[in-house]
Amino acid sequence: MAEMSVIWLRVAAALYSVGLLHAILTLVRKREHLFRVSLAAISMGAVLHGVSIVEEGLLTHRCPIANFYETLSMCAFLITALFLFVYWRYKTESLGVFIFPLIFVMTLVATLGNPVDAWTSPVVRNVWLDVHITLVLLGFAALAFTAGASLLYLFQERELKRKKPRKLYYRLPPLGTLDELISRSMALGFVLMTLAVIAATTWAFIEHKTQWISQPAIGISFITWGCYLAMVFLRVTAGWRGRKAAIMVIVVVGLSAVTWVAHARLGSLLLKP
Amino acid sequence: MKLLVTGVSHKTAPVEVRECLAFPEPSLPAALQSLKSRAGVSEACILSTCNRVEITITTDDPADPQALVDEFLRESRLIAPASVEPYLYRHEGQNAIHHLFRVASSLDSMVVGEPQILGQFKNAYGIAKSEGVLCGWLEGLLERAFSVAKRVRSETGVGQMAVSVSYAAVELARKIFGSLNNRTVMIAGAGKMSELAARHLRRSGATHVFVTNRTHERSLEMAKLFQGTPVEYSRFVAMLPEVDILIASSGAPHYILHKDEMQRVIAARRNKPMFLIDIAVPRNIEPSVNDLDNVFLYDIDDLQEVVNANLRERLKEAERAEEIVKQEVERMMARISVQEIAPTIVSLQEELERIRQAEMEKARRKFGPVTREQEEAWETLTRGIINKVAHGPIAELRAQAGRPDGAPAIAAIRKAFHLHE
Repeated sequence: MAEMSVIWLRVAAALYSVGLLHAILTLVRKREHLFRVSLAAISMGAVLHGVSIVEEGLLTHRCPIANFYETLSMCAFLITALFLFVYWRYKTESLGVFIFPLIFVMTLVATLGNPVDAWTSPVVRNVWLDVHITLVLLGFAALAFTAGASLLYLFQERELKRKKPRKLYYRLPPLGTLDELISRSMALGFVLMTLAVIAATTWAFIEHKTQWISQPAIGISFITWGCYLAMVFLRVTAGWRGRKAAIMVIVVVGLSAVTWVAHARLGSLLLKP
Repeated sequence: MKLLVTGVSHKTAPVEVRECLAFPEPSLPAALQSLKSRAGVSEACILSTCNRVEITITTDDPADPQALVDEFLRESRLIAPASVEPYLYRHEGQNAIHHLFRVASSLDSMVVGEPQILGQFKNAYGIAKSEGVLCGWLEGLLERAFSVAKRVRSETGVGQMAVSVSYAAVELARKIFGSLNNRTVMIAGAGKMSELAARHLRRSGATHVFVTNRTHERSLEMAKLFQGTPVEYSRFVAMLPEVDILIASSGAPHYILHKDEMQRVIAARRNKPMFLIDIAVPRNIEPSVNDLDNVFLYDIDDLQEVVNANLRERLKEAERAEEIVKQEVERMMARISVQEIAPTIVSLQEELERIRQAEMEKARRKFGPVTREQEEAWETLTRGIINKVAHGPIAELRAQAGRPDGAPAIAAIRKAFHLHE
């Protein structure tokens, strides 16, 4: 990738991160924050993203979709353009909660197609990995909490639908309280997982150069994060509760377990000189 | 001192008997004064509610409390005690304490756990106190009964579950939404029960009430009652996405809300839960609406079923409450026993002091004049000895006083130290 093209792409990713911040604040504070600012940042990012793609095309005399990173960049650009069009046409603000993190992560990954120098110090490398692992574990804890609260929600919902109160009905908290718990723990978990994915992506990129993307464990991590994103989106926009939401949580918990297993030898990386 | 509780309740007497024995509140001060004026009566309290009339007195030991109460009833209620005898219950001593604790804790009430009895009991206590007929041991006992009632309410769920249909609806709403603050209620139709439920919901935090009725004037009337907003009957389904709780009680002979309509409503609410209370007969809401996710439909029978389950649960909690009452009675009895043992402890200390003084006198005679320092040293030494000797028996007396089988040990200690009544 040409040097200027990569710079434009990195600036675009930085601008898209404002959108990510908007999504996080919307989830955590349950109110839409920064939408106008992030829309402006996303629009400007899209322009620079476009410039990056055009420049790359002009320099290489081909359409820049020849490798994984270029394809991802193009895909992220098209999603952004489509979102801006849909927003201009239908004013669908809530879609941003799903789209903004997605285009940010896609663009971030696309910027990692050019190799950079190796670690300046092994301490930085290990601390970076420690931060990633801590974030993931905290994210898993929040997810486990979400799953537990979802199960209790299902039990209480069944009790209320049965209309014949049993012991469980009296012992379990109200649905509203459980719903609040699910929302908060899910939002917190998503924030932690997103930060963990960003930390992991950049770490893997520096560690494995451009070959990092071919690692299956990383692929699984992205799928898990994507499902988490979809779950959060369906919860925020369609108000998924009860059975549907619980199934979704169980799927994400299952994928998280697979991701964990796939990263089982991560600890040994810390011992690497 | 003797303690006696004499009374009738919904369990022992029909209303015809209870109403003959009842004391209307304005007549209580005179009745209490009349009771207190009788020779031997130390303190008195009269509890008179629609479900029970109870006279509690403490008397001096020589007096016969039962005869005193019979005489009082004969004079004040103009009733021959023999005619109400089959309905009366009389509890003395420990049984009376147990009974008072149970009554205050609402374990003897018609609806177990209802909160009114404690208020009524406190009111009776207040009147007796202001009349000056409650100023000693019985006052302390009644205050203890109120503390026991508080403990029962906080440590068991005996008073927590709704036992009326309208409260059951509010409780269910809480189980669905958690807090009812800022919830919106709609009443479709009219009726006492729907009004009552809406009133309870409003009191529990629901902020807005929509009212709809086929007769617009009636909607306006009800909207005024709840400071709510009248909604045209033809528009009520369109308004439902804004409503969290719907109370349907219209007289329509058919369903006024169908499953397909509710499906659209819940989609418009982005799956936010909705509580539908159908207290109309014939029912207003299609029963299959309950099959929809996030919709909770309860008809009048379902609410009654919840009330029945709550009553069963209250009875289970009442068993735990009975245990607490039992513990508290035992604690009270132990306290009384400790109070009763105090004179024995005092006479033991006096006896030992008498021996010490006698021995000191003997020593003075034998050794002649001693210096002030020597006298002080003897005092310290002998006091130390009798305190050490007394410590064991006093501790044992206190311990045995709290035990039901402690009397022989107490008697043995008294005998060993030659203590007399």
